[in-house]
Amino acid sequence: MITLDYQSKDPIYLQIKNRIAELVMLGVYPPGTQLPSVRSLAGELGINPNTIQKAYQELETAGITCSVSGKGSFVAGEGGARDILKGRAETKLREALRQARLAGIRKEQAAQWVEQEYEGGGKP
Amino acid sequence: MITIQQLTKKFGNFTALDGLSLDIRSGCIYGIVGPNGSGKSTLLRLIAGVYRADGGQVLVDGEPAWENVAKKDQVFYLSDDLYFPPKCTVDELLNFYKGMYSGFSEELCAQLKAIFPLDTSKRLNTFSKGMRRQAALMAAFSCCPRYLLLDEAFDGLDPVIRLLVKKLMAQQIADRQMTVVITSHNLRELEDLCDHIGLLHKGSVLFEKEIDSLKLGLCKIQAVFTHPVDWQASGLDLLQVHQKGSMVSLLVRGDGEKALEIVQNFQPEFAEALPLTLEEIFIGEMEAVGYDYNNILQ
Repeated sequence: MITLDYQSKDPIYLQIKNRIAELVMLGVYPPGTQLPSVRSLAGELGINPNTIQKAYQELETAGITCSVSGKGSFVAGEGGARDILKGRAETKLREALRQARLAGIRKEQAAQWVEQEYEGGGKP
Repeated sequence: MITIQQLTKKFGNFTALDGLSLDIRSGCIYGIVGPNGSGKSTLLRLIAGVYRADGGQVLVDGEPAWENVAKKDQVFYLSDDLYFPPKCTVDELLNFYKGMYSGFSEELCAQLKAIFPLDTSKRLNTFSKGMRRQAALMAAFSCCPRYLLLDEAFDGLDPVIRLLVKKLMAQQIADRQMTVVITSHNLRELEDLCDHIGLLHKGSVLFEKEIDSLKLGLCKIQAVFTHPVDWQASGLDLLQVHQKGSMVSLLVRGDGEKALEIVQNFQPEFAEALPLTLEEIFIGEMEAVGYDYNNILQ
């Protein structure tokens, strides 16, 4: 479910946090779901448990999960997940538009694609 | 917690460690990098209590490990140059360590025997370099040490075993707050493993930091300008400016998004923020403190 990119400029804990936020948003982890334990996720990914702990703490701060002492972390609801994903989508969209502008794509053309994407659900 | 204060170690008139100070928190994976002969192995041997310090001290949970049986029971040192008793099989080796460490776990040992693809009834001298290292790692994990000191531990391991060792390490840290100190001359090897990294040079620590803050603290921006820009007056916290023709490469301290915005304001033909490798971050930080990394590497 979670893959890490060591080449990315985002630190590992941030990648884990964003990915879990995404999974919650997509409904893969509905509210009430228990997240994998720090130990098992650390073992699975082969990274330091402290890194996972940090990601889980940030998820809790963002209101996406809540921790029950002795039991683990549970999905509370979308909380700030939407904001996190919106922020990331905006960055990607701006970057894509910048590249489109540099590639000489006209504004009208870009606007047309935006229209198609929003209306047709992705099919041109 | 390992506390190192003003540590000095001399061999004859050669000073291997020169007033080195460092703190290693429990439960972290601390990577020590440095060129050959920078004192990495000496430092590990001092922590393990193999060597006696000529000055300063190394404290493992508040006590030195030198001639301290109780501390040595908690520290497992895996040398880069592995030594095994002559004609020893893997089973015999594991048995030997069972007698040495009070924390030795039979259960874990049996699990490891099932996981590692080694025939444990075979003699170690019939094994390849990588297989011997696997056997040594099996012994290390079985002893459940609080402190695991690994000297060039991934040298000779294949990628599958490497991942396995990483996973085992992660589990042991989660289970009982094990602390790992690992040395390497190769930054790339430590990149996906450590949460802290310290750079050793000529017997002292030049630089040490948490990897997460390293990644967030710096960004690289490449841009193409057809007009000259005065970067010193740009308001960017610059570590490096490289200009090749119209191509400018900037190493900037701070948030990448904001830095890119500032660069965009100068009307470049093209600008992009690029991920940095650990190596580039180190070189950047090193140059910032006045060291020429290229010279150090030679």
